[in-house]
Amino acid sequence: MPRGTRPLRGNTLIPASRQELPPQQLLALITLVGLATGLHLLHLNTWVSAFFLCMVFLRLLAVYRPGILPGRLLLFLLTSTGLFNVISHYPLVIGKQGGVALLTTMVGLKLLETKKGRDLYVLVFLGFFMLATQFLYRQDMPLVILALLILIGLTGVLVNGNRAHLTRNPFATWLTSGSLLVQALPLMLIMFVLFPRFSSPLWELGIREQTAVTGISDNITPGSISRLVRSGEPAFRVEFEADQIPTQNQRYWRGPVLWDTDGKNWVAGEQIRETVQDYQVRGEAIRYSVTLEPTDGKWLFVLDLPYELPDQSTLTPDFQLVRNDLRDQRVRYSASSYLSYATGSLSSQQRMRGLQLPNNVTPRIRELARHWRQESGSDGALVNRALDYFNEQPFHYTLYPELLEENPIDEFLFESRRGFCEHYATSFTLLMRVAGIPARVVAGYQGGETNPFGGHLLVKQSDAHAWSEVWLSGKGWVRVDPTAAVAPERIERSLDIDQINEEVGAPIRFDLENSALLEVLIKQFRWGIDAIDASWHRWVLGYTQERQSYLMDLIGLGFLKGGQLVYAMVAITALAITLLTLVLLTRGKKKPDSIVAGYQLFCERLKRRGISRRSYEGPRDYGQRVIHLRPDLRDQVEPILSLYIGIRYGLMDTDSNRRQLRGLIRRFKPSASRQGQ
Amino acid sequence: MSEYLLRRFRSVSRPDSRGKTLIASRQIYILPTAQGYAFGLMLIAMLLGAINYASNLGFLLTFLLAGLGLVSMVHTWRNLLGLELSPAPIEPVFAGQRARYRINLQNHRLGPRPGLCVERRDSDPDLTDLEGVSRGTVSLAFRTGKRGEYPLPSFVLSTRYPLGLLRAWTHVRLEGNYLVYPAPGPSIPLTDSMDYTPSAKGDKGVGADDFIGLRQYRPGDSPRHLSWKALAREQDLQTKMFGGDRVERCWLDLDSLPGQLENRLSRLCRGVLDACDQQLEFGLKLPGNPIAPARGQKQRRRCLEALARFGETP
Repeated sequence: MPRGTRPLRGNTLIPASRQELPPQQLLALITLVGLATGLHLLHLNTWVSAFFLCMVFLRLLAVYRPGILPGRLLLFLLTSTGLFNVISHYPLVIGKQGGVALLTTMVGLKLLETKKGRDLYVLVFLGFFMLATQFLYRQDMPLVILALLILIGLTGVLVNGNRAHLTRNPFATWLTSGSLLVQALPLMLIMFVLFPRFSSPLWELGIREQTAVTGISDNITPGSISRLVRSGEPAFRVEFEADQIPTQNQRYWRGPVLWDTDGKNWVAGEQIRETVQDYQVRGEAIRYSVTLEPTDGKWLFVLDLPYELPDQSTLTPDFQLVRNDLRDQRVRYSASSYLSYATGSLSSQQRMRGLQLPNNVTPRIRELARHWRQESGSDGALVNRALDYFNEQPFHYTLYPELLEENPIDEFLFESRRGFCEHYATSFTLLMRVAGIPARVVAGYQGGETNPFGGHLLVKQSDAHAWSEVWLSGKGWVRVDPTAAVAPERIERSLDIDQINEEVGAPIRFDLENSALLEVLIKQFRWGIDAIDASWHRWVLGYTQERQSYLMDLIGLGFLKGGQLVYAMVAITALAITLLTLVLLTRGKKKPDSIVAGYQLFCERLKRRGISRRSYEGPRDYGQRVIHLRPDLRDQVEPILSLYIGIRYGLMDTDSNRRQLRGLIRRFKPSASRQGQ
Repeated sequence: MSEYLLRRFRSVSRPDSRGKTLIASRQIYILPTAQGYAFGLMLIAMLLGAINYASNLGFLLTFLLAGLGLVSMVHTWRNLLGLELSPAPIEPVFAGQRARYRINLQNHRLGPRPGLCVERRDSDPDLTDLEGVSRGTVSLAFRTGKRGEYPLPSFVLSTRYPLGLLRAWTHVRLEGNYLVYPAPGPSIPLTDSMDYTPSAKGDKGVGADDFIGLRQYRPGDSPRHLSWKALAREQDLQTKMFGGDRVERCWLDLDSLPGQLENRLSRLCRGVLDACDQQLEFGLKLPGNPIAPARGQKQRRRCLEALARFGETP
C-alpha cells in the first residue's frame, strides 16, 4: 500500500439480525416472554408445565454459560419430546386447551433456541400473542395490569433493540415504550368502540371446553335463580323469521320441568317414560333460530310450545326439548312454536307426580287451599282465586329476599311475603297441588331485548324465570305465572341488570364514630374497587353488539351499521393519527425568540426598501448605515435598535420593554422613497 | 427503464438555497419491514381469535398493539424529519481504493433521535444514536472507480426506530466533491528525468554540492550537515553550508512517457509518490498545466490533484 493512504476503519458491521443477542436483552426477553406464557401453567397439565419450566430454567442458566445450550440433534430430540408430551396429554391439539399447551411448549423451545438478533422479533411477537391467549382464561383487573407491564417491557425490548447502541438505563427505555403505549391508547379506544361485533362465532371447533358456565339447571333451591339473574351474561340470541317477534308477555322460553319437591328444593326427578301426546295448536307458527351460549345444561330453550323440532333433539312428554351433546359449546338451532295450544289428557303417571306433596305442608297452607276450593266452582276459578290472593295480599317482588330456612313455602306465604319468581312459582305450584290440581314448575327465561339494529332478540341470564303449569280438564297443561300477579312489570319488560347492580353497589352507611379510620378507608377502598370492577364488567368485558349499538346511538353515530362501522373506524383512526402527528411536530421544537423574530421582520422590511443587512453587520452598524442612507427613518430606527440591543445584550429584558419593541416594529413601515427629496 | 424512472422521479434530499440539507417530510419514504408484516399477520390472527371467542380483552390487546404499530409509524417518520446533514471533506484516495465518506448529523430537536443508519449499495451501513440537540458522525466506506473529481455519492439515510416494524428512509445527495487520484502504476526511473538546470542565482545554502562555509545551527537542520569537527573543537553547534548552481530536481513529464494516457498518468502518480518519498524536489509537466518543482507533502498533494483532474474541463 502506498504511503499516505490511511487504512480504512475495520468496522465490518454484522447486520443486527445475525449478531448475538446481548445478555441484557436476552434476560429481559426470557423474563417477559416466560411470564407472559408462564401464567398458563396455572391451568395446564403438570407435565406440559414442567417441560416449559425446564426450558426456561435451562435458558436462564445458558445466559451466563452459553456452552450448555443444546446442539441441533439435542434440540430436535427436545422438540419431539415436547410435542409428544403435548399430544399425550391433549390428544386433540386443535381446541383452546390443546392449542395453548402446544404454544406454551413451542415458546419454551424457541426460548432455548434463541441466540441471534433475528429471534428477538419472533419472541416478542410470541409474547404478545401469549398475552392475548391469557385473556381466554382470566379477565380480571390484576391480570390486565400485569399484562400492561409485560407489554411495556416487551415494547421496551424492541425500542432498545432498534437503537444503534443499547442503552444502559432500562427506565429510559420503559419510559419510551410506556409513552408509545399511552399514545396508542386513544387509537385502541377508537378501534375497540367502533370495530363491529359479531353475535356468533366464526368457527366451531366442536370440542368441549372445560369452562365454568352458568345457566338454568334442573333443580331450584331458594335463591338459585336470583343468583343467576345477577349475571348480565347473554344466555341465547334469537332471530325470528319474517319479523314475527311475539310480544314481551308471550316470550316464555321453556327449559327444565320440575316435578319433585321435598318442601324446600324442587328437582326434575325421574324422567317420565311415556310417548309424547299429540297436542292441538291454533294460530300461526312462529319460526326462529336460536344461538345458545355455552351452558352446562342440556335444554334447548324454545318458545312455549314447540312444534317443529331441531335436529338431534328430543321432546320429552312434559315438553322439555333436550339435546344430550350440548355441553359447553355454542349451538345454533331452528324451531317453530305455537303460542296457543291445548295439550291432551293427563296420564296417570303425570297425575300422580303432579299431585305429589312434601311432608312439611303446614295446616295453614291446607286451610288456605281448602278455603279457595270452597269459594270457587271450578279448577280454573281456583287458579284465578290464587292469583288474586297473590295480587291483593302485600307480597313484594325482590331480588334479595330474606333467607328462609325451616319451611320456606310456609314462611314465604304467611310471614316474609318477599320473594323472587322462584318463590312465587314454587309456592303457587304447591298450593295448587294441595288444592288437588296437578301442577309443576317450569324454569326457563322470560322476555329478552330486541336489538334495534341486528333485529334479533337477546335473552340474558338476567331474564331467567320460573313459572307454574297446572292441568285443567278440557285445556290440558296451562301456563300460570304468579309473578305476573305480583309484579306485572317484570313480565312487561326485562330486568335492567345495571339498575340491580347499582342497588347492590349503593354505599352502605358507615358508623364513622365507632370504627377506626383505617377500617373506613379499607371499606371505602373496597367499594371503590367494586365500582371499578362493576364498570369494567359493564363496559369492557360486556361490550357486546347490543352495547355497541346503544353507545353509537348515544354519540349520534347510530346510523352506522356493520361494515360502515369499519369505515368510520378507519376514518376516525386516521384523524387521530393526524392529530398525534401535529402534536408531535409542534412539541420538542425550539421556539424562535419573539424578539429575534421581530428583528428579522425589521430587517426584512428594510430589505424591501433596498437596504439589506449584510451578514457581518451587527444591529449597531446596520442602523448607522440605514440612517446614513435614509436620514428620514432616524426617528424610527434609533429607538427600535436601542431597545433591541438593550433587550438582547443589556439588562433591559423586561416584559414591558419586549411589548414596546414589538409595537414599534409592528408600526415600522418605511416608505419607498426618501421623503422631501 | 423502471430503474431510470425511479432515479428520475425519486425525491432526493438536497441542500436548500442556504446550503443546509434538512430532511423534509416529502423526501421521507416509509414502508413496513419484514418484521412489520409479520406483526400485521399476528394482529390478524389475534383479531380472529378475539372475534371467535368474543374476548373483549383480546380485542383491546389487539387494538392496543395495532395502535402501537400506527403510532410507531409516526415516530419512525419523525425520527428523520428535520435532521440536518453536512458532509465532512473526503480524504482523497487512489483509484480502486475505498474512500471514507463521513457525514455530520445535527439534531436540532430537544428529543433524541436513536437508531439512525446510513446505507449505500456495496458499503457497510453505519449506525448512530443522537441525543437531543446534538451532533454525531456516521461514515460510509465505498470503493472508488476511475481517477477524477466526482460529486459526493448519494446515500440512503434510514431508521427503524422505535419498534423496527417500519423503515423510513430518504435518499440524500450532499453538495461537494471528492478526488480520486490515479492508481499508482509501475515505477519510473526518476534519475532519467533528473534535471540539472543551471541557475543564475544559485542555491546558496540550500544546494548540496560544494561546501561554502559554516553557520549557526538552526533547529531543523539535517544532522548530516552538522559540523562534527567544529563540535569536537568545543565550538558551538554549527551547520555546514553547501552551495552550487544546481539542485537535485526532477521533472515528471507526461510527454516523456509512452503508452496510453491513463497508464502514463498512473506511472506519473507513482513517480510523484517515489519522488516525495526520496525527498527530491520535483515538478510536474502536464500539457498546459506545469507545476513548478518543490518538495514536501504540499507539493505531492498539488501534483496528485493535478493528475486526478487532468483532462477535465476546469
